[in-house]
Formats: sequence, C-alpha cells, structure tokens
Amino acid sequence: MRDDDLDRILYKEQKIMPSSAFVASVMDAVRREKMAPPPIPFPWKRALPGLFAAGITLVSVLVAGRTLFIQETATHPLPVQLPSTFAVILAGWNSLGASWIAVALVTSVASVKLSMHFATRKRLIG
Amino acid sequence: MAAAEDQSAVEKVLSGDTSAFEGIVRRWQGPLVNLAFRFCRDRSRAEEMAQEAFLRAYRSLDRWRREAAFSTWLFALATNLYCSECRRIPARTFSLHDIAEPTDPRTLDGSLARKNRERLVRCAVFTLPPKYREALILFYFHDMDVASTARSLALPEGTVKARLSRGREMLRRKLSQRLVALQLSKEA
Repeated sequence: MRDDDLDRILYKEQKIMPSSAFVASVMDAVRREKMAPPPIPFPWKRALPGLFAAGITLVSVLVAGRTLFIQETATHPLPVQLPSTFAVILAGWNSLGASWIAVALVTSVASVKLSMHFATRKRLIG
Repeated sequence: MAAAEDQSAVEKVLSGDTSAFEGIVRRWQGPLVNLAFRFCRDRSRAEEMAQEAFLRAYRSLDRWRREAAFSTWLFALATNLYCSECRRIPARTFSLHDIAEPTDPRTLDGSLARKNRERLVRCAVFTLPPKYREALILFYFHDMDVASTARSLALPEGTVKARLSRGREMLRRKLSQRLVALQLSKEA
C-alpha cells in the first residue's frame, strides 16, 4: 500500500456531531464545579512547628546516639572478632518480638484477602 | 475572529461570569468530540472524554498564557487527556484478522471491498504502539500539518516527523502481512 493511499484513507475520517445535550451537560458539570467548595489547603502554618520539632528531635537523637557510641567504644573497646551479621539480626529480631508481629501481619493480610475474595465472588454472582 | 471571541470569553469567565464558558463549549465541541472519537472510536466515550477536557480547561483557564492561541492550548490539553485515557483504557477495536475480504470481489460493486480496505487500515492504526498511533491520529486530524501536531503533542517537529515516518512504515508492514495472509487463504 502506498503513502498516498494511506493518506487518503486516514485523512478521510467519519465526522460525528456532538449530541444536542452535550453543551448543557458540560455547562452543568461546570456549574457543579463552581458550586463545589474549594479544596482545603494543607495547613502549612500549623504543621511547620511540628515538622520543625520533628526534624530537631531526629537530629538530636542521631547526635546523641553517635556520642554514646563513641563514649562506649572508648571505655569498652569492641571485641576483635565481631559477631556475624546474621547473629546480630537474629538478636534484634528476638528482642523486638518480631516473630509475633510477623504472625499478626500474615494473619491480617490473609483475612483481608479472603474477605475480598468472597466479596468479589458475591458481586460476580449477583 | 474566533481567537478574539475566545479571549473575551476567557476574560469574562475569569472575572466570575461562568455562563461565558458556554460560548467556548459551543465553538469547540465539534473538534474536541471528533478528536476524542479518533482516539477511542466510540461515540459516547468520545463525548465523555470531551466533557472532561472542557472541565479541565475550565479549571485551569488562568494557566493559559496568551502567547499561544486559545485553541492551541485547548487542543494540547485535550490531547494530553485523550492520550492518557486511551493508554489507561485502550479503545475497543477489532483484530485485523476479524475483517474478512469478500470471497469474490468481482461480484460486488467494489464499495464493500473499498470499505473493508479502509476499515483494515484504521484497525491497523490501533495496533501501533501508542506514540506512533497518537502522532498519526493527530497528524490527520490537523489536516496533515506537522507544526499543529507537534504543538498538540508538546513535542519538537523533528520528533513528530520521525514518529510519523516510523508509524507509516510499521503500518505498511502490518497491512502487507495481512494482505499476503488473505491471498494465501484464498489460494488454499
């Protein structure tokens, strides 16, 4: 097929007329838009002190942690052989009781998935 | 004339006279609905998309910088919306293989064969990757004007030319494959 044929076919496109109610429908939507209350802006003025305080706290915690670590290593130097990374992660995992958190998360996800599955099936059947 | 009317209507709307927007809708409803129809091939969806385009234009009228014509800005806004809508929910079209050639074209007056051929070409456009399809749709909508197509797509003219050329090439290849397949099926 030549370019001329393609141009002729694609240029000659069926024209459609908008329905008679189209303008009214658009104007209704525009009026609704005008009547709708403006979106509530984010309260930056109120949030800024909180965000600022949070930032200061985070920096203080980091600085305090670093100072404590330096003091600790000065009085009790680190052992020559450090425990393996896996052992450190496991110790942290146990101290946090993360196993129970993981079980709770899996149970929650499973129950949500199951209920959504039933709800979708019911909607399809209905 | 239309440009001056658009500008005056926009000023009125921005100063609080919502009813002035009706003039804009009346003036541009045909082009916007037809452009949407070229993207989705569905009359009612075309009207829905055009309505959304007008609504978005109303919401962002204050962002129209007077450097470009109002129509250019409106088409760019509508094109952006139609492209993203049709990428989100693609147009429902027939497969190229669903379009049957007449078993014996000699028995017909040729109009059916011609219509099938045209339908085949239009369906082939919808099988192209979006960036080529969008360039082709807009190019023919804007009376084969590359500059207008580029403005609507917010792309440099060179990019549009390259996409048009590549799109046409892909289209020709798809169509020739289909025509060869039809020829073989007739011979079998």
